Amino acid sequence: MRTITITSVPGYNEWRIASRECLAQSIPPENIIWQSSESIQDDLFGHTEEVMPAPKEQVKHSIPKSVLMLFKYALCHQDASRFALCYRVLWRVIFENKNLIQLKTDEDILQLNTLAKAVKRDAYKMSAFLRFREVALDGQEHFIAWYEPEHFSLEVKLDFFQTRFKNMRWSILTPYRAAHWDTEKLVLEDNPDPSVCPDEDRIEKYWLTYYTNIFNPARIKKSAMLSSMPKKYWKNMPETALIDDMIRNSDARARKMITDGNKR
Amino acid sequence: MHDKLIQKLEILSDAAKYDASCASGTAGKRKAGKTDKTGIGSLTGGTGICHSFTPDGRCVSLLKILMTNYCIYDCHYCINRVSSSVQRARFTVKETVELTLNFYKRNYIEGLFLSSGIVGSPDLTMESMVRIAKSLRIDHGFKGYIHLKTIPNASPELQAEAGLYADRLSINVEMPTQLSLNKYAPEKDLGAIHSSMNTLKDKIAEHKVDKTHTGKRPPRFAPGGQSTQMIIGADGSNDKVILGASVQLYSQQKLRRVYYSAFSPIPDASEVLPLKPAPLVREHRLYQADWLLRFYGFTLDEIVHDDMLDMDHDPKLAWALRNRHVFPIDLNKADKLMLLRVPGLGARTVQKILAIRRYTKLSWMDLTKMRLPLQKLKPFITVSDYSPAIHLLDGNNFELQFKQPKQFELFGA
Repeated sequence: MRTITITSVPGYNEWRIASRECLAQSIPPENIIWQSSESIQDDLFGHTEEVMPAPKEQVKHSIPKSVLMLFKYALCHQDASRFALCYRVLWRVIFENKNLIQLKTDEDILQLNTLAKAVKRDAYKMSAFLRFREVALDGQEHFIAWYEPEHFSLEVKLDFFQTRFKNMRWSILTPYRAAHWDTEKLVLEDNPDPSVCPDEDRIEKYWLTYYTNIFNPARIKKSAMLSSMPKKYWKNMPETALIDDMIRNSDARARKMITDGNKR
Repeated sequence: MHDKLIQKLEILSDAAKYDASCASGTAGKRKAGKTDKTGIGSLTGGTGICHSFTPDGRCVSLLKILMTNYCIYDCHYCINRVSSSVQRARFTVKETVELTLNFYKRNYIEGLFLSSGIVGSPDLTMESMVRIAKSLRIDHGFKGYIHLKTIPNASPELQAEAGLYADRLSINVEMPTQLSLNKYAPEKDLGAIHSSMNTLKDKIAEHKVDKTHTGKRPPRFAPGGQSTQMIIGADGSNDKVILGASVQLYSQQKLRRVYYSAFSPIPDASEVLPLKPAPLVREHRLYQADWLLRFYGFTLDEIVHDDMLDMDHDPKLAWALRNRHVFPIDLNKADKLMLLRVPGLGARTVQKILAIRRYTKLSWMDLTKMRLPLQKLKPFITVSDYSPAIHLLDGNNFELQFKQPKQFELFGA
């Protein structure tokens, strides 16, 4: 039995290196215990191989890009079983069926897709619901956001933020990691201090004004709103503080629209 | 920025909320280049991100505002018509540009959706709108999304210039027939609207080519195409007339989207309008039918059996109920077009089925794992280990089991 400990989050690179070694030694998935350093558990069998003999000859396995992309997303999931799952799928793609990924109803593929989909959604919501606030830092405008993704989604969205806000100085803080961008270089910082995030922003009142007025009180569809923007996202979105009042007043506003309309 | 701006924003976003289109469409990819030291923004290639949702279930993707709600026209369904007593305001070019950039930098929006009342003349109005788009693109290197609602009757030159800066252009037809326009929007001419659309269509096609004969790429011209909107239930047009108009717009003018907006009462409404809002379910059915026409290979006559869509069942199910003889369909054998006709199978599911089928036979268990709506599918399909009991399709109460207990959710976008 081989035990592999992943020491970083999300752990994609470590997993890739370890997987490559295990493949080279033809270690089947059932003989590996994957753990991450936060959740180290005792190996029930008490038997760990310490030395990894160098592989004699490297066999090159070609893995379809679509599979690697799925791994990339799935490995950003916080589920601790992700490393074992991805290795098992890797093994099966190589030795069992190179088209395994197409068997959408295979248990492993279902699970892999579930993880990848959850991360994609989480990452998408991050690119959507993250809000920057402006501060002056060394006399220059700097934008700071605090966001709490469910998974390790910061990694997934770094490219997006670097591209979209290329010429802006910004910092995105999440509970596990921050990314700082100075228009040229990206610096990552683990476990950042959330208190550097400002409480207000000079433009926010205009955003709140816009949000209140663009909504049509005659067509309340709260469940549609909640399915796309569940309450768990609300606390870092300033406009959501207005929602309860908007719904409470909507009847009166809509009725006013109609009574005004009836003044003939 | 000072507080007068808040007041303007209140008026001019309130006035824009009656427009149904809210999402930003697909307009290719775009970003600031390596050497670009000032530009901001990107288009990611897919449809735009929904940055928030309002309690009406709609996605907030763009800063959707009117440049001004002053208007010389008197369209009855419009809150901004000249005879309405609504409060008026006007944004300057600079204000609009700054608001857009400030919102964008805070990750509130994907870009700007600008329309306007007609102030002065169509050309003067259009010119200001183009200046806003141009300033964003040229002065500020803005790479985000811009949708301009072009002004009917503005000069072709201005419309052509608009296309250089905007990702999408749209002109609202508002009503499916000239007869209805005469009654509700006396200044609007369907022929002129179509000819504007035609001009833009040709421009878009012209600029779509990869390279001109000189080997250069032509500049982008409204890469997101054109869209339009029709108001539903203000005039007497039935669903067949409305969808017929859509089919024509899609095929002849190559429109990307037709939006349907159920008429809802507006403050200070004109007398010719109905007092009651049109049912939202009708709007929803029209969107479903529109989808079937564009992506599922249905024809207009197949979808609209009578003049109106069935309000109780979605149009695909309604078609299946009228055409029971073609069912059940074998999911392991049927071709793509036939699979797309099965109630409960969406385009994506059909893709999945086709992919799985290449390697293995589909069983009932597979359908469960794919989390398909089995109850709905059951009477219409056959798989390797299942075929429907014959009475499922023939029973007199067959239709009843599909009755929706509540209204559908509307499309968010």
